[in-house]
Amino acid sequence: MALMGVVSVFAQDGGELRFCLRSEPKTFNPLLVEDEASETIRYLTGGVLVRVNRVTLKAEPELAASWKVFEGGKRIRFKLREGLKYSDGTPFSAADVAYTMEQLMDPALHSSTGDAFRSAEGKLVAQVISLSVVEISFPAPVANLVNLFDTVAILSAKSPQKEMAVLGPFYMAERKAGSYLLLKRNPNYWKKDAAGKQLPYLDSVRIDIEQNPEIEALRFQRGEVHLINTVSPAIFEKLSADNASVRDAGASTDTEQLWFNQVPGSPLPAYKKAWFTSTNFRRAVSEAINRGDLARIVYRGHAVPAIGIISPSNKFWFNSGLKPHPYDTASALRRLQQDGFRLQGDTLRDRAGNAVEFSIVTNAGNRTRESMATMIQQDLRKIGIKVNVVTLDFNSLLERMTQSYNYEACLLGFQNAELDPNSQMAVWLSSADNHQWNPKQTSPATAWEGEIDKLMRAQAASGDEHKRKQYWDRVQQIAWEQEPFIYLINKDALVAIAPAVKNAAPSVFRPQTYWNVETLALTQAH
Amino acid sequence: MKTMRIVAITVLCLTALTILGASYLAPAGYEQQFRETPQAGPSAHHPLGTDDLGRDRWARLLYGMRVSLTLAPLAALFTTVLAGLVGGIAGYYGGWTERCCKLLIDLFLSVPWLFLLITVRAVLPLNVSPEASVTVTFALLGLLGWAASARVICTGAKDLMKSEFVWQARAQGFSGFKLVRLHLLPNLRGALLAQFWISIPVFIIAEANLGALGLGVAEPLPSLGSLLRELQDVVTLRPEPWRLLPLAVLIVVISSFQALLNKQEVRA
Amino acid sequence: MLRFWGWALLRLAAVMLMASFAGAMLMRVAPGFSSDDQELNSGLSAQSIQAIRTAHMADANVPRFYAQYLVSLVKGDLGTSRSLNQPVKDLLRERLPVTLANLAFALAVGWLLGLVLAVAAQTWNVRALTFLANGLSGTFISTPAAALALVFLLLRWPPAFAAALLVFPKIYRYTQNLLQQSCEMPHVLTARAKGAGPWRVMAWHVAPVALPQLIALVGVSVSIGIGVLLPIEVVSDVAGIGQLAWHAAQSRDLPLLVNLTMVVTFMTVCATLISDAAQRGFTRSNA
Repeated sequence: MALMGVVSVFAQDGGELRFCLRSEPKTFNPLLVEDEASETIRYLTGGVLVRVNRVTLKAEPELAASWKVFEGGKRIRFKLREGLKYSDGTPFSAADVAYTMEQLMDPALHSSTGDAFRSAEGKLVAQVISLSVVEISFPAPVANLVNLFDTVAILSAKSPQKEMAVLGPFYMAERKAGSYLLLKRNPNYWKKDAAGKQLPYLDSVRIDIEQNPEIEALRFQRGEVHLINTVSPAIFEKLSADNASVRDAGASTDTEQLWFNQVPGSPLPAYKKAWFTSTNFRRAVSEAINRGDLARIVYRGHAVPAIGIISPSNKFWFNSGLKPHPYDTASALRRLQQDGFRLQGDTLRDRAGNAVEFSIVTNAGNRTRESMATMIQQDLRKIGIKVNVVTLDFNSLLERMTQSYNYEACLLGFQNAELDPNSQMAVWLSSADNHQWNPKQTSPATAWEGEIDKLMRAQAASGDEHKRKQYWDRVQQIAWEQEPFIYLINKDALVAIAPAVKNAAPSVFRPQTYWNVETLALTQAH
Repeated sequence: MKTMRIVAITVLCLTALTILGASYLAPAGYEQQFRETPQAGPSAHHPLGTDDLGRDRWARLLYGMRVSLTLAPLAALFTTVLAGLVGGIAGYYGGWTERCCKLLIDLFLSVPWLFLLITVRAVLPLNVSPEASVTVTFALLGLLGWAASARVICTGAKDLMKSEFVWQARAQGFSGFKLVRLHLLPNLRGALLAQFWISIPVFIIAEANLGALGLGVAEPLPSLGSLLRELQDVVTLRPEPWRLLPLAVLIVVISSFQALLNKQEVRA
Repeated sequence: MLRFWGWALLRLAAVMLMASFAGAMLMRVAPGFSSDDQELNSGLSAQSIQAIRTAHMADANVPRFYAQYLVSLVKGDLGTSRSLNQPVKDLLRERLPVTLANLAFALAVGWLLGLVLAVAAQTWNVRALTFLANGLSGTFISTPAAALALVFLLLRWPPAFAAALLVFPKIYRYTQNLLQQSCEMPHVLTARAKGAGPWRVMAWHVAPVALPQLIALVGVSVSIGIGVLLPIEVVSDVAGIGQLAWHAAQSRDLPLLVNLTMVVTFMTVCATLISDAAQRGFTRSNA
C-alpha cells in the first residue's frame, strides 16, 4: 500500500509501455499456455483468483477477496469479489471459476497448468455455492495449492468472445504475426489505487517480437523499449558502463547443470556407462570444475557457484547445512583412484585401460553455455579427461536427451518459476519423463533414487510446510552426495529498466520487470 | 599494376608463412585460457588482447587462418570442378542433357539443405575431433555449393559451342576431349576462376553460420568463421576495434588472391 | 515459342514439387522431428508429454502428408502452421510482400552498383577506380551477412541495403571477368587497333558478347539475392519469409516448410526461366 501512495504522487497517466519477447506466443488460450511468450500474455491479460507478489512472495487476493484451505490442501473455498466484469462487459461470477477449473482439469486438454494440480488419480469437483462463493475439491491434497492459482486465468463461461474476454489489466487489441502485439487498457478492470483511481495507469503495452538480444539491447539504448527481463552479463556490463538503468536483482532460482547419461539402454559402450553410474566419477568431475571461475568469467561476476537443487537465495527451502562443492583436483584424483582410474602421462585411464574421454552436448547459439562447456573442458584436462564440446540445435539435442539417449553428458539450465520446489517433482521421481539422467524407470535403479521417490511422495502428500521442508532437506542432501546433476552456478537476475518507467520493483521471479504492470507508469507519455 | 601484383604475392606468401608457422608465432596455445585476464585489451603479452575466456586473440587468429584458409580453397576447388562438369556437360551436349542438368540445378538451388546438414551432424559420432568436424563441414559446402555457378558456366559453354572458332575446330576434325581441352576450358577459365575465388569467402562465412547447427569447428579450435561470429555482438563491439582484425585479414587475403588471379588471366 | 513456355511451365511445376517433397523428406529424416521443447516442462504429466509427441508424429508419414497437402492445395488451402497456429495463407499474405520489396531493392541497387563499377573500371582503366571497386567488392564479399546486417541496424540503415551490398560483389565480379574476357577477343582487339574509342568498343563490340551471360546472371542473382536476404531478415528481425523459414526449420513445422519451399522455388525458377527466355530472344534476334 505504501507503494501505491508513492504512485499517486509521481505517476502521470497514459503512455505506451514497450518491451520485447523472443518469440511469438503459441496460444492465447490461458489454459494451454506452455511457452514464455504465451505466459506473458496470460500474465498481462488474465484475471486470477490469487496473485503471488513477486517481491514479498506472499499470495495476495485478486478476484478472490479471501480463501480458506481445508484438509491440508484437498479442498479450497474462495469468496469472490462482486460486481466485476470481463473486458467485453460480461459479468463475472462463481460459475466462471467452476467452468475454468473443469476445463483446465479435462485430461484431454493436456494442460501443464492443469497437470500441476494433479496429485492423484480422480476427478476434481468445482461446486458453485453462491454467486460469489465457489469450492474446489481435489482427489488428494495438493502441495503449494494457493500459489498454483497464480497461473489460472479465469475464463468466461458465457462470453461470445471466449478466451479473448479477460479480467486482467489489459486486453489483446491488435497483432501482427512475427512483428508485434498491442495490448490496450481494459476499461472494466476492477482494481483501483490508494487514491481511488482506476488502474492500470498505462494506456497500452506494445510487445515487439525480437529474437536477437543484441538488437533488443540496442533498442533499449535508443529508448525504443523500456524494459528487458533478462540481460546477458556482457550486455549488462556494457549498459552499466553507459550508465543505463540496469539492475542486478540478485541470485535467481534458475540453475545451470551438467549431467551424465545413466540410461541402461543407451547406445553407449558398457565401460562408459560404468563411469557415468559411478558416484565417485561424478563427484570427481564435480570437484575438478572451477565453479568460481565460471561465475567470474562467463557470468562476469553476476552468478554464484551452485550448491544444489535449491538456490541459497531461496532462504526457506534451501538446506543451509550443505557446503559449497570444493574445487580440488587432488581430491578428484583420489576419488578416481578409488574406482581404479589412474593417470598415465596426461591421460586418465580406467581399470581396463580405456582413455577417459567424453562429449558434452549443449544447445547451439547459447553463448554462456558454450563458454561454460569450454571452461569445463580445460578444467577436466587437468585431471587427464578429454572433453569434446558439441553444440546441437535444440530439437536435435532434445531427441538425444529424451528419445534416443545417444549422448554422454549434457549441459543445460532449468528455470524454476516458483520458490516452492514441489514443481520439481517431475524431475526427481525416478519414474518421471524429466528425470533426465535416467528417465521413466519402472523401479528405482539405485537405492538413493528409491529414497528420493519416497521423500517426494511424502512431501507432496503433506500439508505441513515444516515437515515438507525436512523431506526436501534430505533430498538436497542426497543430491549433493550423489550428484546426478552437477549443479554449476546460480545466475543473477539481470534486468534493464528505462528511467522513464516509474514504480518498477524488479524481482528475480518471472516476469521480473513488469510483474506489477498495473502500477507501472511512464514519466512522459510517448 | 605490377606493384599490385607484388603486394598481392607478398601478402599471400606472408599468409602462407603465418599459417605454416602459427605454432612458432603464437605466444600461447589457441585453447589456453588466461583466466586472470579475460577480455583484456592489446598488451605486450597479448598483441590483440584476450577473448571472453581469456584466450589470446592473436593465437586464435593465426590458427583460425590455418583452418579456414586451407579448407575453404579446397572446398572452392571441389565446387568449381563440379560446377564446371555439370555446366560444361549441359552446354556441350545441349538438348535433353541440358534440360536435365538445368532441372538438377534448379532443384539444388531450391531444396532446404539445412536439414541435410543437421542430419549429417546426427550421423557423425559425438566424439569426433574438431578438425574432422570442420573438414566434413567444408566438404559438404563444396558438395552443395556448385549449382548457381553451373548455370553461368552452362550458358558460357553453350555460347562457345555456337561460336565460329569452335565450328572451325569441329570442321578440322576436333571433337570430344580435345575440343573441350583446347577450346572450351581456356575460354571458360575466367568464369571458372571468378567462381572459385568467390566461393572461398562464401564458404568461410557459411562455416561460421553452420556453427549454429553444431557443424563447423567445435570448441576450442578457432576458424576465421567462428572469429567473425564475434562481430555479431554489436552492442559490445564498438569500444574494441581490434576485434575487427579477423575481418580485415579475410578481406586482404581475398583481395590479394583475386588481384593475382586476374593478372594471371590477363597474362595468359 | 509456345513449346518453350510449355516446357518452362512443366519444369517449374516439376522443380516445385520435387524440391518441396525433398525438403519435407529431409526435415522428417533430420533429428528432432518429433521433439518439442515443452517436453522439458516439469509441470507436464507423462500423459501430456505423450500427447505432445503424438501430435508431432501426426505428419510423420511424409508421402501421405504430401498427398493430402497437394489435394488441399488444389482447393486453395495451404494448411495451418503447426508452431504458430495460424493458416499458412495468412502468414504468407503478411510476409511475402515485405520480402519481395526488399529483394527488388537489393537486386536493383546491387546490379546498379556492380554494373556501373565493372563497366567504368573496364572502360577507363584507371588504377584508382579499379582498386576502389576491387576493394569494395572484396570487403563486402568477405563480410558475414549477419555482421553487416547488425552494423546497418546500428546505423539505422535499411536491411535491404545490406543485402544490396552483399549482392553487389557477385555481380561486379562476374561482370568484370566477362568484360575482361570479351575485351581480349580478336575482333575487340582489332577494333581497338583501328582506333575505336573505349565507349564505342564497349557498346558495339564487348556488350554483345557479354550480354547473354549477363542475362543468365540475372536469374542466378535472384537466387543469390534470396540467399543473402533470408539470413539478413533473421538477424534484423524483418517480418518476412526468411524469418518465417528459420522459424519453420527450428520448430520442425512441416506445413510451413513445404509452402515456403514452394514459394522460394517458384521465385528462383521463374527468374531463371525469364532470363532463359530473354537469352533465347536475344540469340535469335542476333542470328
